[in-house]
Amino acid sequence: MPKNQYISPSDAFASGSLTFDKIPLCQYKKTLAQEKKLYTKADFMRIYRDMRIIREFETMLNDIKTKSAYNGVEYNNPGPAHLSIGQEASAVGQAYCLDINDFTFGSHRSHGEILAKGLSSIEKLTETELYDIMQEFLGGNILRVVEGKQEKQGDVKELAVDFLLYGALAEIFARTTGFNKGLGGSMHAFFIPFGIFPNNAIVGGAAPVALGAALYKRSNHKKGIVIANSGDGALGRGPVLEALNMASMDQIRKLWGMDGKYEDGGMPILFNVFNNFYGMGGQTRGETMGFDIAARLGAGFSPDMLHAEKVNGYDPLAVIDATQRKKELLLKGEGPAMLEVATYRVSGHSPSDSSTYRSEEEIEEWKAACPIAAYRKKMVEGGIATEEEFDAIESDIIKRITKICRMSIDEEISPRMDLDSQPDIISSIMFSNQSVPSMDPDREAEVLIPKEENPRIKQLAGKVRYAFDEKGDMLPKIKQFGLRDGIFEAILDKFYEDPTLIAYGEDNRDWGGAFAVYRGLTEAIPYHRFFNSPISEAAIVGSAVGYAMAGGRAIVELMYADFIGCAGDEIFNQLSKWQSMSAGILKMPVVVRVSVGSKYGAQHSQDWTALTAHIPGLKVCFPATPYDAKGLMCAALNGTDPVIFFESQRIYDIGEQFHEGGVPQGSYEIPFGEPDVKRVGTDVTILTIGAVLYRGLAAAQKLQEQYGISAEVIDARSIVPFNYEKVLESVKKTGRIIIVGDACDRNSVMRDMASNIAEMAFDYLDAPPVVFGSRNWITPAYEFEKYFFPQADGIIDVISQKILPIPGHVSTVNESEIEHIERNKQGL
Amino acid sequence: MANPVIMPRQGQSVEACIITAWHKKVGDTVSAGELLFSYETDKSAFDEKSPVSGTVLAILASDGDVVPCLDTVCIIGRAGEDISAFTGAPVAEAKEEEVVPEMPMAVSSLAQAPAHSARQEGDDILRISPRAKALALQTGVDMTRVAATGPHGRIIQRDIDAALDSGYHSTVADVEAYLAGEYKGNTAVTVTQGTALEVVKTQPDNTVYVSGTDFGLYEEAPMSGVRKAISRSMCASLTEMAQLTLNASFDATAVMEYRKHLKENAEILGLGKITLNDMVLYAVSRTLLGHPYINANLIGETFRLYHHANIGLAVDTDRGLLVPTLFGADTMTLSQIAAASKGAAERARSGQLSPDEMSGGSFTVTNLGSLGIESFTPVINPPQTAILGVCTITNRLRADGSVYPAMGLSLTFDHRAVDGAPAAKFLAELCTNLENFQMLLAK
Repeated sequence: MPKNQYISPSDAFASGSLTFDKIPLCQYKKTLAQEKKLYTKADFMRIYRDMRIIREFETMLNDIKTKSAYNGVEYNNPGPAHLSIGQEASAVGQAYCLDINDFTFGSHRSHGEILAKGLSSIEKLTETELYDIMQEFLGGNILRVVEGKQEKQGDVKELAVDFLLYGALAEIFARTTGFNKGLGGSMHAFFIPFGIFPNNAIVGGAAPVALGAALYKRSNHKKGIVIANSGDGALGRGPVLEALNMASMDQIRKLWGMDGKYEDGGMPILFNVFNNFYGMGGQTRGETMGFDIAARLGAGFSPDMLHAEKVNGYDPLAVIDATQRKKELLLKGEGPAMLEVATYRVSGHSPSDSSTYRSEEEIEEWKAACPIAAYRKKMVEGGIATEEEFDAIESDIIKRITKICRMSIDEEISPRMDLDSQPDIISSIMFSNQSVPSMDPDREAEVLIPKEENPRIKQLAGKVRYAFDEKGDMLPKIKQFGLRDGIFEAILDKFYEDPTLIAYGEDNRDWGGAFAVYRGLTEAIPYHRFFNSPISEAAIVGSAVGYAMAGGRAIVELMYADFIGCAGDEIFNQLSKWQSMSAGILKMPVVVRVSVGSKYGAQHSQDWTALTAHIPGLKVCFPATPYDAKGLMCAALNGTDPVIFFESQRIYDIGEQFHEGGVPQGSYEIPFGEPDVKRVGTDVTILTIGAVLYRGLAAAQKLQEQYGISAEVIDARSIVPFNYEKVLESVKKTGRIIIVGDACDRNSVMRDMASNIAEMAFDYLDAPPVVFGSRNWITPAYEFEKYFFPQADGIIDVISQKILPIPGHVSTVNESEIEHIERNKQGL
Repeated sequence: MANPVIMPRQGQSVEACIITAWHKKVGDTVSAGELLFSYETDKSAFDEKSPVSGTVLAILASDGDVVPCLDTVCIIGRAGEDISAFTGAPVAEAKEEEVVPEMPMAVSSLAQAPAHSARQEGDDILRISPRAKALALQTGVDMTRVAATGPHGRIIQRDIDAALDSGYHSTVADVEAYLAGEYKGNTAVTVTQGTALEVVKTQPDNTVYVSGTDFGLYEEAPMSGVRKAISRSMCASLTEMAQLTLNASFDATAVMEYRKHLKENAEILGLGKITLNDMVLYAVSRTLLGHPYINANLIGETFRLYHHANIGLAVDTDRGLLVPTLFGADTMTLSQIAAASKGAAERARSGQLSPDEMSGGSFTVTNLGSLGIESFTPVINPPQTAILGVCTITNRLRADGSVYPAMGLSLTFDHRAVDGAPAAKFLAELCTNLENFQMLLAK
């Protein structure tokens, strides 16, 4: 896209052959003598301890799951336990290299990763830092449980290990004293102060999220690296491949920077694959994949092949060696990188796994190669420590895990959330509902020109901010300050206010967005804050989630609502859930701008508000006027919650016809959830969602002029949250309501609203709330749209057919009950 | 494939008909040949049978609607079929006349939408919106008696408003009975003297409710289609024409004797049914041809001067005044006129006249003589130029003091078409012909 990158036919057709460098496979060959120079005895012993803690922790979980008892402690845990027994060296080796500025994102099977990173961070933090973290976290709730229960008092690091193990186990057992008050659970445990970011129940789900955290570091010049952990099975997932590609995009090293500054190099992310050879039961090598060696994937993403290599994950020292080298590459700006850590899970995928997909011999051979036993043997044989020393560590660990287990199941000290006495406790964390104008108020925003020099701002100065002149005549479209201008102004202002704000999506830079909302941003905002993404909706939205988790604010764009499916998991499971799964610890200030088409057929014209509104944890709005669009965008950008911001391509150029005085130049907020009465009436209420507002108003006009019926038109503006009070007030007055939108009728937001209104205003209704949406068809070509999308005349027809028969009115659409019964019979 | 059923054209002069009753409702199955709906023209009533078998998918015109001939009135097909192809423009044009609303119009006044009983056939549910129900309970309107105009015969708010506007309240006892579930909706209600609130029952669908004592009781009856047509026609006649009436009488001795003769010889002649009116018709038919502007229509500024006497015969029926035409009465014998007028009157009374039979008249004869009327002012049937009223017979004295039976004749003519003298001449000639009836017969 940039004009300075010239594409010539001679380059494109240049003859030659593509060569690849060698990908190293398990080349770590250091002797113990060499290693002794790198590690102290304490280091060696700590590596053992950490592996052994993980092993015991998971053994305990396995016993609880399979025998309902561990070491005399009886308990029944109905929740999941995806264990990684056998993989301890891989996790501990990785974590050993990381400090508190480095973030890890877990795989689907990540108790080990979490504990390893936690133990590593405890080692690296000072006692004061550690104690402060424990004291501050959840108001010291976890600390209070574990403090004073150590044999040796006053050892903050020992206390911190108990804190870590207890916080993780209480989380797995859904206790309110868990790291996330039990709302995350086994597959979503994390502890941000130690740099432990969420693991993910969705296989590969963390890859684009981790990319976002790396993007935060890169765009905000923060220290440290990010590791995206995944299993080998996750390499079959699109979002993982999208994240690998997006992290590798050329522009980061070639185009990013500003006035010679901030050329910080490539994305500081390591894609770390714990290859245990099975995705649950499907064998990746030899059955479900074709890569043979997972590290081969690196060759597909960048000329430096992501510095890919494979390492022996049963040797913690080999893993440390490889991870350390990758970390150095990343810190030098040569990221991203990829590491395959070959390992093996001797435990089942879950306790119900009967290993039908692998042989007994195979498991036995891997058990015999146990990384912990092998390491201990090497240490004893190398004279680092005696068997007795190791026995003492082991016995301490068993005692510790038993203690932690007993504490975690104690209903007194580890209670569950009490939804009887506090029924709103989960409600209270679904949204953070904060107003934080800048996520980093201490820092200056990096911009290319002063705001007032912006060419778009200068152009807008010549536009009229209200659609009508003094005489009440509508101005020509070209003179009107349009809806796209309102969105632009809100975003531009925020770019200057919040230094963490970034915006990206397809064709955002240079082009200015497919619908010209961003025209004028390219000149103002440097690449590392505003860029073109690859056509990778999963990575676009997923990375925004990680960006926000790491502390930033992001606006990402889906060019068409029809592409929501491409970012399905990222919107439905990641963006929506992390605030609440973290018990309110994480904030998610992300705005996903979604454009709704109208003229481009079946896959480019769909209003999918219902899909997003269905998912708890997302705010959803669909403004239809410049005043509302700017005000809602300001509210979205000041807020801390994820917002799906629908925009209609039908009305990007529409002027402000309602708010007297036009669209204010400065910042102002339209509160989320407040519908707006756009026309006052007494006989029937027309509630519209999105651009259909203008068809609703045309219908109201015709009802008045032709039939003397006074219609009140309410613009929903927001979908989630939604304050029904104003609508109910209207319905109590009119007794009648039709809900109109461009979405397909079945399971639409309109249906949901109709159902709610019927329940809440039943006694006031003179007719059932009636829905008039689009047909349950594909969107046909533009020329046939009037047969598909609701039109003004159709609104009158439906009112006459179902609500208030209008003498003399002749309908052109058939929305009768018998017609609907028949359509539903046919699935239409 | 759904089939449209059209409003048939009953004669070339008929442009639109009024639906009087649907015998099927939407969703009913109907067999070809089954009675589908009834309708009437200005002057006659008809039944329409279904041309096809199927389910009634849509009824596009309700009882009382004026539907242009050949327009679709209902659609019959397979249940659930798409009928949008039939619900478009033609009906819209047809209804244009009615679409013009009064401005401004309150929603409650929209209750002129087709009314139904809120109780559907075979369905014991009272269909009423929660809002309307609440309003009915609050105001005391008997919701079981309100005409429903909502979808599917549901009572909606405007129906209760309409009931309130018409001054109706049900008795407190009615409301209590309703609430107790003991109220019998459509049964007759006894009018009790002295109660504060009373109900008059007419038809279940247009029951009229009044408040107060029995002195205020009245019934409302809608204007029938025929009545509306007469009303329009008579108003037009009196507002558009310059009408005046000439009264004369003739010595009826000759016609009475002739009639007596025919009666006495009825067995021989077989002409016993010939009436005095038939003889007047005969005389009129013979007299008219010499007075072309009386045997005429005036349309705009053009006269239609008929070559034959097409005499309209005013017939009083239960449905209202109907005027069948005796075409070419001047070519008929007295006996033929008698038979034709008798037949036409019978068909008029039984509603079997075709619209074509009720148009094309060049002159009209109306008779109130049998009711003792001595003279009156008949109103011309447009676009004719004159009408003859036949009055009763009274006894008068001749100059010599002898008594004779005098039959009155009242001729109303349109002064725009004919002046007084020519009209008087026609009347005089008619009197002469009647006084010398046997000579006229011989001509």
